[in-house]
Amino acid sequence: MIDMNPSTNSPAQTELGTSIGKAPGSGKWFDRKTRLRWSNKIFRMVCIASASFVCLVLLCILILMLRTGVLTFADVSLNEFFFSTNWDPENEHYGALTFILGTLALTGLTMLMAIPISVIIAVFLAEMTPIWLRQVLRPVLDLLVGIPSVVYGFLGLTILIPWLRDISGRDLADGLLAASIVLTIMVLPTISRISDDAISAVPNKYRDAAYALGTNRFQTVTRVVLPAARSGIMYAIILGMTRAIGETMAVVMVIGNTAQLASSLFTPTAVLTSNIVMQISSVEFDSTWNHGLYMMGFILLAISILMIVIVRLLQKRGDRNV
Amino acid sequence: MKKWIKPFTAMLMAVSLIGGLGGATTASAAKSTEKGKIVINGSSALLPLTLQAASEFKKDNPKVKISASAAGSITGPQSVRKGIADIGAVDWDASKDVPGFKKFDGMVANPVAVTVFTAVVNTNVGVSSLTTKQLQDIFSGKVTNWKDVGGANANIVVVNRKFGSGTRVNFQQKALDGKDFMSKGDNYKEVGSSGDMKTTIETTPNAIGYIDLPYVTSKMKAVSINGVAPTEKNVLNKTYKVWGIGYYMTKGQPTGATKAFIDYIQSSKFQNGSLKKLKFIPLAAVK
Repeated sequence: MIDMNPSTNSPAQTELGTSIGKAPGSGKWFDRKTRLRWSNKIFRMVCIASASFVCLVLLCILILMLRTGVLTFADVSLNEFFFSTNWDPENEHYGALTFILGTLALTGLTMLMAIPISVIIAVFLAEMTPIWLRQVLRPVLDLLVGIPSVVYGFLGLTILIPWLRDISGRDLADGLLAASIVLTIMVLPTISRISDDAISAVPNKYRDAAYALGTNRFQTVTRVVLPAARSGIMYAIILGMTRAIGETMAVVMVIGNTAQLASSLFTPTAVLTSNIVMQISSVEFDSTWNHGLYMMGFILLAISILMIVIVRLLQKRGDRNV
Repeated sequence: MKKWIKPFTAMLMAVSLIGGLGGATTASAAKSTEKGKIVINGSSALLPLTLQAASEFKKDNPKVKISASAAGSITGPQSVRKGIADIGAVDWDASKDVPGFKKFDGMVANPVAVTVFTAVVNTNVGVSSLTTKQLQDIFSGKVTNWKDVGGANANIVVVNRKFGSGTRVNFQQKALDGKDFMSKGDNYKEVGSSGDMKTTIETTPNAIGYIDLPYVTSKMKAVSINGVAPTEKNVLNKTYKVWGIGYYMTKGQPTGATKAFIDYIQSSKFQNGSLKKLKFIPLAAVK
């Protein structure tokens, strides 16, 4: 996944062609040479078709969501939808700002907690663990990714929230903090495993050189290894972040599902995903409410795409400086 | 796209799913020639009944596959209208207009059971009876402390069902006399299904919510309304008012396996047997 030296991994296009071109042929119309060329061509076509299929699906989803979503604005002004916090569809108020801000806050808070912890886990796994422990820990982390999010949500509801209630002294501890703790636990394995791969892929000569210059282990890790693995770690963070933004089932169980701006970390609130999943099945099709939910889905997608683009740009700039 | 997004969310939110593995019994046990697939969606209050009926029905009709899920009452008739479910379980008669929801044209409401709804509180709450007025005040957010309604000095946590829930419609109409719910506040949250309501009330001190009787467990307390306890006896002697009839909505008159299943659930064998055991009340009893 982490491509440190792209040039060695992908053979140049011309090499493939020439090797086939040199293959001895019998001269018949369907000899080994022709067969090879055709199977090569077909394989290439299949790959291209698969790749474009994915793009096509994404494009279709985008277009459909946007097309259904914009119907909202036949009844609701852009201003109200994006800049009002009054979400009360039963009385024709469609202000989605609460959910947009909630999503951004939740993702931000999650990343704030998840990134340091998971990078430390990754460093520990890649740099400091004895091999036998590493061989145990890596599969364990991989398994954590596979636990369904409902399970995380249920544990959050039955264990985390009563605990938060005790320490905060609130009557109801549902809210951004509970949701971001659950999300942090969910994205930890994703970010730490991919970062771990990135750190392990840093060539040992970098470390040797650093030690030769007299640095200690901490300095080697923070000044040499982490910067060298930077793009891989960034990649891990993007994946973790998109999971955090889009995660629904776990969040809906611990966030409280109340359409109000959170005044504290323990105020029940709602985010785009939780609001969509709570309401979309109960709402009349082809109603403004339904269109509004589609629009919120589109906004969610737009936010993730925007974040991915921003991180990619940051990453590029970083690479140039190194 | 709209066609698949709804069953997908419904699946996610399903309290429980039963797979179509009805053919497990031996071939000689086949007492019926009915075959086909019945998809049921809708009310989570009726889900325990549907699941029980489905497992019994499949014993007699091994060739019928039944899958049931619940994402709230209004999803029932909506899924039927969109053709993704054969039966839409709903806690009110969806072939007529009710406050907040328009009627579904061309659908037939098949009554299946009487559901009793009750206000429930966490076991730590000292209050065991509330008046209609007190319930209205609590659920509208006017009263926020248990001491104002005869309990200990503690903040009230109000748990509400989301819009589209049949339990919510019935509770609002019959326990709150149509008064509105609150929709904001530090001690207010909404949950998606009866199962979520059960978990939340069980685990949240000072919480009040409402649910139908089959979901009431020993970890929560059912509250008497105006001094009348929510029991079958009190419904039958007409002192307890918070109950409703659950319906299976079908597109037109039911046919084939769907009809056989509805007939089974309406049969006196099921009505007086398993249905009663699950704390629903047979239809015949209230008529």
